[in-house]
Amino acid sequence: MRREPELERLYDEHAQPLYAFLLNFTRHEADTHDVLQDIFVKLARKPELLDGIRDERAFLIRLAHNAAIDLIRRRGGRERTRENFAADIISPFAPAKDPDEQTFRAELAGALAELPPDQRAVVHLKLWEGLTFEQIAAALDIPQNTAASRYRYGLDKLRGRLRPLYEEMKKAE
Amino acid sequence: MMNGEMEQFELRLNRQPLREVPAEWREEILAAAGRASSVERRGQGRFEPSTLVSRLSTLFWPHPVAWAGLAAIWVFILGVDFSQRGAAPVVAESHSPPSVEINVEVRQQRRLLAEMLGPRETREAEQLRIFFPRPRSELRIEILTT
Repeated sequence: MRREPELERLYDEHAQPLYAFLLNFTRHEADTHDVLQDIFVKLARKPELLDGIRDERAFLIRLAHNAAIDLIRRRGGRERTRENFAADIISPFAPAKDPDEQTFRAELAGALAELPPDQRAVVHLKLWEGLTFEQIAAALDIPQNTAASRYRYGLDKLRGRLRPLYEEMKKAE
Repeated sequence: MMNGEMEQFELRLNRQPLREVPAEWREEILAAAGRASSVERRGQGRFEPSTLVSRLSTLFWPHPVAWAGLAAIWVFILGVDFSQRGAAPVVAESHSPPSVEINVEVRQQRRLLAEMLGPRETREAEQLRIFFPRPRSELRIEILTT
């Protein structure tokens, strides 16, 4: 049986990236809390899940990804009522003091939300977790080429959506 | 966009800091996980039929035919035993207690037999005389005198 200090270590090492990854999917703080808690409850109940796992982060990201996909499917009806969803939406990015920067982050959060979940997961893991395509492929249980192509498609969409704002900010700099 | 511009764009995105996990969640989530862990520990000590079935299947799996044969033999033995137990009371019930006339007749026959055999002490003494070992010379004298 895995002892609680072990759970504490797992939390301290992995909770932050899992939180950011989940928030990018759910965009709801309460949902993110529930999914993150479910992951740690699962680890507490079945500590043997991590036996023989070489890359804890990749394994936990896979758990989080599956849980997030399940959650999105479950709340499908809720998300269709766009007004309610917009009222609760939360950006995965930290608030910025600079208004231009804040605008860019808000646009980026919106553009990410429009990506299909598969592309969003790969873009998040590549850009903000710094994982290689090999690691992403292992974490999401997809071929490496698929991970790379999803990243390209996702990044192209982000670039298309953010280009006017990005160009404007570049000129201002 | 050119490759260099693309890299700059990626770098720009990469520099956007992510929101931090609320500090109070640590206690909440670890407490929930701790509760789940202790419930799981308690649950492991409890008897569950599924656990018993699993253990039995582990025990019987290596030689299922042999165990099935043994079980069949025991079932057969128990079946025979129960069938005999069931028959015994029927036999007892089929014999009605002896009538008064038969009892009187048996008593009379016993009395007649006792009269024919003589008093009890004589017979016992005779039995003793037969079984006590004696010297051969005494036996010869007895034969001669009779």
